[in-house]
Amino acid sequence: MTGSPSRARRYVLLLVLLCGFAVVLFRLVSLQVLQAAELTAKADRQHQKTVSLEGARGTVMDRHGKVLAMNMEVPSVFGIPTALESPAKTARSLSPVLRVRTDELEKKLRQDRSFVWLARKLDPEQGHRLEHMPMDGIGLVMEGRRFYPKGPLLAHVLGFAGMDGEGLEGIERRYESQLHGEKRGVGLQRDAMGRTVFPKGQAEQVPAAGHSLVVTIDEVIQYIAEKELEEAVAKARAKSGTVIVLDPQTGAVLALAISPRFDPNAVASLTADRWRNRALTDTYEPGSTMKALVAAAALEENVMKPNTMLFGENGRMTIANTVIHDHEKLGWMTFAQVIQKSSNIGAAKTGMALGDQRLYRYLQAFGFGQKTEIDLPGEVGGLVKHPREWGRRSLASISMGQEIGVTPIQMVSAVAALANGGVLMKPYVVSEVRDAQGKPLRQMLPQVKRRVVSPETARTVTSILEGVVTDGTGAKAAIPGFRVAGKTGTAQKIDPRTGAYSSTLFVGSFVGFVPADNPRLAMIVVIDEPQGEAWGGTVAAPVFRRVGEQVLNYLGVSSAEPVKLAMASNRR
Amino acid sequence: MKMLAVTIGLCLVFVFVWERVDMVRLGYQVERLKHEKVVLERERDELKVKFSALSSPDRIAKVATEKFGMSLPQPGQVVMVQSKTKDSPASAVELRIARNDVLNGRR
Repeated sequence: MTGSPSRARRYVLLLVLLCGFAVVLFRLVSLQVLQAAELTAKADRQHQKTVSLEGARGTVMDRHGKVLAMNMEVPSVFGIPTALESPAKTARSLSPVLRVRTDELEKKLRQDRSFVWLARKLDPEQGHRLEHMPMDGIGLVMEGRRFYPKGPLLAHVLGFAGMDGEGLEGIERRYESQLHGEKRGVGLQRDAMGRTVFPKGQAEQVPAAGHSLVVTIDEVIQYIAEKELEEAVAKARAKSGTVIVLDPQTGAVLALAISPRFDPNAVASLTADRWRNRALTDTYEPGSTMKALVAAAALEENVMKPNTMLFGENGRMTIANTVIHDHEKLGWMTFAQVIQKSSNIGAAKTGMALGDQRLYRYLQAFGFGQKTEIDLPGEVGGLVKHPREWGRRSLASISMGQEIGVTPIQMVSAVAALANGGVLMKPYVVSEVRDAQGKPLRQMLPQVKRRVVSPETARTVTSILEGVVTDGTGAKAAIPGFRVAGKTGTAQKIDPRTGAYSSTLFVGSFVGFVPADNPRLAMIVVIDEPQGEAWGGTVAAPVFRRVGEQVLNYLGVSSAEPVKLAMASNRR
Repeated sequence: MKMLAVTIGLCLVFVFVWERVDMVRLGYQVERLKHEKVVLERERDELKVKFSALSSPDRIAKVATEKFGMSLPQPGQVVMVQSKTKDSPASAVELRIARNDVLNGRR
């Protein structure tokens, strides 16, 4: 009865199964216990990767919310040379889309590397074309690229961001800490189909976008200023030009135009000279525009009154063995006429009546020799020497705008103080910081720096400066229907070859405000090295008029002229 | 009774498996929608940039002057009239009129 064949078969089957299970068990122990650490690490490497992600850079908007700079995701193209069958064929196909020469692409694709960039941050239109031409060994990744949709408009203020998204110039640089998105390393996983996904719970950890900025600039006023400045610089065949428009009551910059312009979307081929914000970085001798401020100091200190009589020395006066000239032979004139006719001799006598210490104190009070602290990078403080460094002629020279270096932003801020009843405001360009959802985080309010002269003095100087436009050298700045106050300036530049004042290189300027009785705009126009006629009243004053006229109309500021009732009756 | 228990057991297994499969399916759907959202956001940003470029004062001025033959008003053509009404004696409202348009009766 023992040893039946069926029983023997059962034992054999059992043994086989036991052996099988033993093999499986051994394999399981090997995988799960003996090689556990090594295999887990290998799986992690295959399914997970940590990448550094950066939130989108914040948007920059003008005072009415118009977009001036924003980020957009655009494709960058890479190649995997080891996975390519025919680098030459691939290069030929990609060349017209990437706008890169075929031989350059082929050279990159023939490299003995596993990854190579072919083109970064393309235009969206190029990306759309690439999506429709799938190629093995070529891939796309999306990267944030900075766009300046208005092109050259406001470029010198906005500045620009680099290839890696960091602010390099202008507001982009000054407000880098606000604008840049959060940077964070995020662990990603690949799903069964090889796509990259955020592991559960990490989707909410996408780095936050940067803050947005609202600037005080009005894009329409900026456009008007840039257009008129470009035309004036071209007409005068000048080297460069600057226009700044301020709200005198707040110090808010409404426009800041520099000529020549540049496009921040394409800065690769440009030099720093082109994108430098000359309104803050370049100093110039202001010439006669300084007389407006010397007049304010003299009136405030009671050393002059508008009707004080001064003798013009028939256009020629010797000081410290040097001769000061006027542009015409002037005799006796009132102090107001000294400013209106822009008499150098009258200004020199005013400065001498003030004395060096008082003049120096007012130069400092108006903000010369120190930065205005405008929220833009690269500002310089200008050059104002201490009286102990002055020569025998310095008092006279400074009073007529020589021996002193100022920036256009300093000069317009100082004159804006006269328009603001004698109170100097801090100029600023960013008015608000908002989060990515548009919620206000911080508002920049106007900041008073100091009172420089009394309201009464400011009114008296305004009245004198109105005379400059109605009866003096600034006639071409007159805006029909509005009371304009301002001062012209024509300064000789120092010839870098000789170190002496040049007889051919000038800076023509006009600085003023309008309407004089209730100022809405303070503006400076500086034209550097105009060819031909270089008087500030000829090259800069007309720009003031054209910009002022259009901006007042745009802002809906009423004319001082009464409207005739007959017109209304003609209306049907 | 035994049959019922087996049926219920099978149903539970089926529900469990179905739930798992559906979770995976929904997971993929969520990922697809997220991708779609990213694409739409990209398109929105692209349109924003285009809109901003097209509404640039530079371009508008060019189109207005070259295509429609418009020009800036000449000095004196625009006057601001302060309208004084019974309700607002302080003249809060300002009305713009072009002088030549009014005189010519063109509005």
